[in-house]
Amino acid sequence: MKPFLEQWNPTVKAATVLVCVILLSVQYLVSLNLAVFGLCVALLLAGSRCGLRRLAALLLPAGMAALGLFFMGLYYARGGAADTAALDTVSALPYAVRAAMSRNLYTALQLATRLLAYAGLGMLFALSTSGEFFIASLLHQCHLPPRFAYGILAAFHLMPGMVREFRQVRLAFAVRGLHVHALSLKPIFTMLVNSVRWSESVAMAMESKGFCGDAPRSYYTVPRVRAYDLAASAAAVGGLVLGMLFLRY
Amino acid sequence: MKNNAWKLKDVLLIAICAVLFGVVYLGCTYVGGILYGILTPFGMASLGYEPFYGIYFMAGAFGVYVMRKPGAGLIAELLAAVLECLFGNYFGPIIILSGLVQGFGFELIVALKGYKKFDRLTMIEGAVLCSVLTLGYNLVISGYNQIAVPVLALMLAVRIVSAIAFDGIITPLLADGLVKAGVLKGYAVARAADAADLED
Repeated sequence: MKPFLEQWNPTVKAATVLVCVILLSVQYLVSLNLAVFGLCVALLLAGSRCGLRRLAALLLPAGMAALGLFFMGLYYARGGAADTAALDTVSALPYAVRAAMSRNLYTALQLATRLLAYAGLGMLFALSTSGEFFIASLLHQCHLPPRFAYGILAAFHLMPGMVREFRQVRLAFAVRGLHVHALSLKPIFTMLVNSVRWSESVAMAMESKGFCGDAPRSYYTVPRVRAYDLAASAAAVGGLVLGMLFLRY
Repeated sequence: MKNNAWKLKDVLLIAICAVLFGVVYLGCTYVGGILYGILTPFGMASLGYEPFYGIYFMAGAFGVYVMRKPGAGLIAELLAAVLECLFGNYFGPIIILSGLVQGFGFELIVALKGYKKFDRLTMIEGAVLCSVLTLGYNLVISGYNQIAVPVLALMLAVRIVSAIAFDGIITPLLADGLVKAGVLKGYAVARAADAADLED
């Protein structure tokens, strides 16, 4: 039996996350943002099999991004001192102290916690949804054409091979004494040539196995939208609206 | 008669290239991460990733430039976004929303030109529109409307330069190289190159 977050229909779950994000984007409540973030992390821990490690691996960049946004809001909030201060006066400390005392602090918190709330919602989906289940759900609930669904899955599973190949291409250039840095176009071009070839061979392989985008086909798993999927969405959106109505800061 | 249907081969090409651009972007985020860290105490952290922002639009730009059919930009960006979502980005399905905005940028420019012009200028215009639209998305969704205007202007400027470099110049350059190498036979971009050769 899968934990409840993993059973939640992926399409319904994704739609719920998007509705919540749009609702969150029209409010500026720090407490609500933090509540959403905390609740998402708690739900992930209770209702999915994602390990602490994977959670931390996503929380770290999200936290960093929030910190960056916090400082940006602190120094350069609209209507704050930054509007009059020139951009090149980044001599940090005394200004930072002044900025912290102004209402910029609240704006900074709004920006940073909003990003955390989004990250929480995003992780709630990302860490509790398997790729296959999501694509299967897009196939059946969103009527994504099978050509696209299986094309996406093929590219998805090609990724480890591509990373290995990319490393080899760069190594091959280095062996020939050609220096390649992160943005060199040569290895990228070689990889693009490979990508075109792969796309042709994978397409040919799939078609020679009888894959045809138009013919009716049978499915191993058919995700359905059940009452509890919709109830969970209603609870999430309803809770958020209640928070928007009753929370003050 | 133009064929607007997407074949399996087309879907795979765009999806695989989207993964490739994702890998390239991942390489850049190490550099971007260092910049981000250095700039954080100065409140300019977001500027650290801006120089690489154009890589986000590469799937859309490549799709539009190679496929040259209605919907190519939107479909390419959506494919890239769903893939990014599958790889476990911490923004999850929110990426699909921003992918939609990014794809719309290129789509709008080529649609305005009746899906007939796909030259460098069109791609550069698409890159600029994409940058403006994504900043609009940031203003509304990410709450950047709380940030001072000069800072936003600086961010937009860096983003536009990055987008022009990656999507207006590098992507068409790579695609033209692929045509010359003879691997894109059967795609609209190769047919256009053949037609241009005949005219000469």
